[in-house]
This record gives sequence, C-alpha cells and structure tokens, in this order.
Amino acid sequence: MALIELKDVNKTYFGAQPLHVLKGINLNIEKGEFVSIMGASGSGKSTLLNILGILDSYDTGEYRIDGKLIKNLSEKTGADYRNRMIGFIFQSYNLIGFKTAVENVELPLFYQGIGRHKRRELAMEYLERMGLTDWASHFPNEMSGGQKQRVAIARALVTHPDIILADEPTGALDSRTSVEIMDLLGKLNREEKMTIIVVTHESGVANAADKIIHIKDGVIGSIEENSRHDASRFGDGSTIK
Amino acid sequence: MSSKWLDIDYYRELLDTLTRNKSRTVLTGFGVFWGIFMLLALSGGSTGLKEILSRNFEGFATNAALFIPGQTSKPYAGFQKGRTWTMDTDDIEAIKTQVPGLASISPICLTWQTKVVRGDKSYSSASVKGLTYEYYQIETPKIKYGRGLNAFDEYNSSKVCVIGKRVYENLFPEGGDPCGQRIEVDGVSYLVIGMDINAGDMSIGASADQTVSIPLSLFRALYGRGKRVDLLGITAKKGVMVKDIQTKTRHVLARRHNIDPEDELGVMSVNTEAIFRMVDNLMRAVDILILLVGLGTILAGAIGVSNIMMVTVKERTTEIGIRRAIGATPRMILGQIIGESILLTTGAGLLGVVFSVLVLSGAELAATKDGVLTAHFQIGFWPAVAAVAGLAALGVLAGLAPALRAMKIRPVDAMRDE
Repeated sequence: MALIELKDVNKTYFGAQPLHVLKGINLNIEKGEFVSIMGASGSGKSTLLNILGILDSYDTGEYRIDGKLIKNLSEKTGADYRNRMIGFIFQSYNLIGFKTAVENVELPLFYQGIGRHKRRELAMEYLERMGLTDWASHFPNEMSGGQKQRVAIARALVTHPDIILADEPTGALDSRTSVEIMDLLGKLNREEKMTIIVVTHESGVANAADKIIHIKDGVIGSIEENSRHDASRFGDGSTIK
Repeated sequence: MSSKWLDIDYYRELLDTLTRNKSRTVLTGFGVFWGIFMLLALSGGSTGLKEILSRNFEGFATNAALFIPGQTSKPYAGFQKGRTWTMDTDDIEAIKTQVPGLASISPICLTWQTKVVRGDKSYSSASVKGLTYEYYQIETPKIKYGRGLNAFDEYNSSKVCVIGKRVYENLFPEGGDPCGQRIEVDGVSYLVIGMDINAGDMSIGASADQTVSIPLSLFRALYGRGKRVDLLGITAKKGVMVKDIQTKTRHVLARRHNIDPEDELGVMSVNTEAIFRMVDNLMRAVDILILLVGLGTILAGAIGVSNIMMVTVKERTTEIGIRRAIGATPRMILGQIIGESILLTTGAGLLGVVFSVLVLSGAELAATKDGVLTAHFQIGFWPAVAAVAGLAALGVLAGLAPALRAMKIRPVDAMRDE
C-alpha cells in the first residue's frame, strides 16, 4: 500500500467565478520516494500541496496517508496530523523572528507537549545534523538564507514525520545554496528513506527528485522517472514558464 | 487542556513572546498601567485630602450654632437699616428660658492682634479670648500640658490662661512644659495652666493656635466690657436639629433688639451642622468622581489593550499561521492570545500598583511633620488586591476579541503572507 494515495480528488474555489482548480487527481507516492511536483503558476500545484499538507480541504475524492482517510477533519485532529505526520519547508523559511534557531526547531515539540529539556536535546541534535550547532542561539535575521532554510529543515524533521513537504524550498536562495539544499534533501531521502515531496516550477529543482510529476490545468499531465539527476542543473533556460 | 495551566512551558512561551517584542508590549501595557495608577493615586490622594480637610474641623462640635451681632440690612419697627447693636448677658438669660432643646450656651469676648510677652520673647498676633468652660462643648481643646479652664477659674476670676500652639512656640522656643510659667498680656501677668495643641483652622474668632484663653469674668473686669458679649455659641440637645434652635434663638435676639427676625445680616449666625453636611456631601461627590475617572481610565486602557492586540494579531498572521501549520490547535492559539493579554494587563497593572504606592508613600513623607504623620494617603492592601484581580478579569475580556480573530487564521495564510 502506498504511503500517499489520492483518488479522484477535486477542488473548486467558489468565488464570484467558481474555479475548478483540481480536476480529479489520482496519485500514489510510495514510502521513501523523492518526488517533485512541477507546474506553472495557476496549474493547481499549490492547491495540491495544501491538500497534501492538510492545510486545505478538498470537495470530492479520497486522500489517505498511510491508510488514514484525511477528510473533514476537525481543526484539532488536523493540527495533530500535521504535527506528527508532516514536516513543512517553505519558500520564505517561515521561521518565527523573535525566536532563536533552536527555539524555532523546538516549537513543533512544544505543541506535542514534550518537556523542555527533551525538546532542547532533540532540537540541538537536529541542528547539529544540519551543521548549525554554533548558530543555535542566533535569531533568524542574523542568519543567511541557506542557514535559515536548514533551520526550517531541522524543524520539519524534529518530529519524525512521515512526509516532508517542501514548497519552492529554493525559491529565495541563490543557485549555489539551492544546490546545497537540494543535495541535503536528496541525502535525507537516500540515507534515511525519508519521503520527500517538493513543489516547484524550476526544472533544476525538480531534477533533483527521482520522479517528476507534471501538473497542468488541474490534472496530472505526465509522470517521468528521473534517474539522471545531473541532466539539467540550475541555469539558463531551465525554468518552465 | 487542564494540565496546560500547570505547565511551566506554557507560561515560558507567553513570557518569551511578550519580552521579545518589547516595544509592542510596553505600548500595549502602558494604558492599563496608567489607568490603575490614576485610580489608586487618586483614591489614595482623596483619602489623605479628606483627612486634612476634616482636621480643619477637629475638635469642633457638629451640633453648634454661633451668633454675631451685625449691621441691620432691613428697616424694622421704625428703625432704619444700617444700625449696629450689641449682645449682652441679659440675652443669654432670655434665650435660656425661651429656647427649648438647648444643651449649652456660652458667651465669648475677645481681642484681636494682641501682644503677648514672656521675658524677651513676644508674639504680637495673639487673640485673647474670654470664655467659660462651657465653651469647650463647642470647641474642644486638645490639652497637651496642664489643664483647661474650669468653673473655679471663672468664679474666682483667676489670672490664669491656656495658650495655643503658635503662642507656645513663640514664647517657649525651648519647648517643655509651660505650666507654672508666667506670661504678660496688656500689662497683666498670667499664670500658664495649660497648652492646647489643637490646630484646627475652624474656630471662633482667631484660630485656636493663636489664642490665649482666660476666664470670661476676668476678661470682663480687665477689658471693661460690662455686660457686653462679642459672640454667642449654642449647642443643641441630642435629637434636636440645630436649625430649629438656631431659628428660635435668632427670633429671641431679634425681638429683644428690634431687628427684623428674617434679617440674616442683622443677626449673623453660622450653623456647624450645615457646614459639616456640606463638606460631607462634597467628599462623597469627590469620591464618586474619582471612581468614575479611575474606572474610565482603566476601561480605556483595557480597550486600548484589546485594540492593539487586534492590530498585533493581524501583524502576527504569519507567525500564527506557522504555529498552526506545525501543529498548534486553534484552542492553543486562543489560550496563547488570552494568556498574553492576562499577563500583560496584570503585569502592567501590578507595575501601576507599585508606582502608585511609591508616589503615595512620597506624599505621606511630605505630609509628615515633626515625625508625626498628618494624613494617610496610602491605599489599603485589599483594595490593591481587588484592583489586580479586576485587571486579570479585564485582561480576559480584552483578549477575547483578538483571540477569536487569531483562531480564525488558517495555516495557509502563513504561506500567502510573505
């Protein structure tokens, strides 16, 4: 059984003009896969990411994580699932500005009700793995973009989630740092069998994944196996417009 | 949920959020701080002022009326207006028989700006008052040394005197018991038998601290007043309104001296009961005013907290969205915002309490004379506790609207807002 199962998922935004964003998405992602979802803006990839991250609801169809149906969850259960099953990495890092690096990493554990000492210990352990031990007591505005994103990755990992969801993780980084971050994610996938889903519009980023899912106008266009990660790295002409 | 209130981490999280956003916290808390400071400082100040004011009436009977012969302002019984007249001892007898409900009646004679001498020391703005011991029912002396005048002094026309505080300070700068010493007034030597430290500003004729009291019979003999009486004081029996005996006495005096009974300038009189009631009402009005101003200020402060937190929640959309995305339930967010609000109002309120206590202590220090506290400005312990408890409740209310808004923030908002 696949870790993530999407069956005919539909989503419509009801505004002045109803907008059918996802038109029957069928997708299975196995445990330990490194997948990227690619699409232009307006293709529905952000909506799909929100649904995958239990940040948004869908209208019809079924979405299961590890067999559990994710539908019409209460806010409380939703928060609990997000906390335990999903680790988020955002384009704008989304660290809390008035908290230090280690406190930011601790925060998901705080909401799990884990004690202060245990929290600090785990957070330090993950910061160390990101090579940020010396930066633990620094505030986000004292760090570079790459460091901030690594803090965010530590925060995503600290709860041992089933899935890492990364939304344009390199969108705010220069190309050299982008490579570092993508290599880091790749290493996590290879060495710890972490399931990683990266949403991007940059083909260079998508190329780091083993599987590239192209989404267009609310439907999955093609799924391409990608074993040659160095086929196209960051550079000119690598962006799908 | 219940365990959350015991979790030290919960409070640490609140404290962190407040202390790391200092300017926001200070701005938000200032309204409440100022409100509680105003309320406590004002109420403490009014208590002290009340005490100072009531000290003016210290030792003065609340059931007395005074009569002073004035200049008639109405023509009556063939006399033109503008006539002056004097009271005499016969009036006293007439009043005693014709006014029921009278408790005491005491005539007073006095001089102004009289020089008092003791050796090489002198005091020139004293007032010599001739009075009987009955007068003590109207104005009770606070005898520090010796005794007051009594019936023997009056009967014997003894050359004795009781001196007021200011007179004592000028003639006896070395301090100590003045009794047994002699002072000289208008060429007559008196034995000091007592000293009155009453400093009340309300008194008949000159202020009590500038007075040299001597027996009335002696005064009459020395100053050649004959039957004449300068002032007349009466007190009412228990259960009798001063206003009633005041009117009756006025009528008796008016009839005897051919004055219009309604001529209030012809027979001038003061009713202490009315003055006391007026002052009482004034105090009550001041209390109510202070309560309104103070509560209004606190309320304004709380609304300010609510308002700023409302703006803050909007500003913190990303932060709250992140918290929600990584696992905070809406209830946790609610708990956090309300908790911050309570902590902020209570903390700022406590600071206000401390500050007002300090200021009131300063006021008490300023009001301390010769090591004796003349007025108590300090607020009580329990009113302060009640104020802080009230603030905590206010904190919940102030935090409610912003917290409900914060609850509605969805995690998606964190990513939208960049």
